[in-house]
Amino acid sequence: MELSVKPAGNVVVVEIRGSVDGLTADKLLQTLTEQVQAGHVRLVADCAGLDYTSSAGLRALLGTVKQARQKGGDLRLAAVRAPVLKVLELSGFTSILKYFPDVKDATASFG
Amino acid sequence: MAAGMDSALAIEHVASLENLPRFMSFIDDACKRVGADEDTAYALRLAIEEVCINLIHYGYKGMAPGPIRVSFRQRGDRITIKIHDHARPFDPAMAPQPDLTSDAEARPIGGLGWYLVKQSVDELDYQSDPARGNVLTLTKHNAQSRQQVTGRKRAS
Repeated sequence: MELSVKPAGNVVVVEIRGSVDGLTADKLLQTLTEQVQAGHVRLVADCAGLDYTSSAGLRALLGTVKQARQKGGDLRLAAVRAPVLKVLELSGFTSILKYFPDVKDATASFG
Repeated sequence: MAAGMDSALAIEHVASLENLPRFMSFIDDACKRVGADEDTAYALRLAIEEVCINLIHYGYKGMAPGPIRVSFRQRGDRITIKIHDHARPFDPAMAPQPDLTSDAEARPIGGLGWYLVKQSVDELDYQSDPARGNVLTLTKHNAQSRQQVTGRKRAS
């Protein structure tokens, strides 16, 4: 898994590439938590390069959503690929996470 | 290897997080070898990760980590994966149903692993024996293989 963090106006975009699994999910959660703790509570996860997630990745996403919303922000997903979206749907995450076709739309959704 | 042919492979490593990628790569490679479609390969990668993570984090908790042996077999359109371990027995049927409907604030973090395993395969069987250990058998129908087999039957 590779991560890159890019400010985009009043939003921070975290690009996630590769596989989020039991070995890598902690790094994702740490990176996202650092952003929330730094006051960057409007987050977009760019999932265009995300090939795979297991329940470990879902834990990281839900943990971040809870933290961000407590501080008045949110974590929103962009460009989720079909196999990953299927896992989100199976797990009931599509009803609690907002997701958009691309980073531009996800970023604009924060207004 | 042509779809529909018999194929059996196996791997064994100690139950540790650092070995997790080895189990996942084994399934990735085996799926490629038998020509599994992408959905099947993703589902089986997910299933094996969730099972191994449970064994690493909970099954062998409080004891020296023992082995996890994973075997992969394709017969016709059926892929069968067996996971053999000597960890504390846990029947997946006893795993509680996760909360899939609460809003984000009330949703518990975690508890999805066994649910995703069950969603990823067509059949699941668990046997535990004090002497021989535990064997979890996961079976999935390989849609692409099934199509190819059907096509071959039509051609003949």
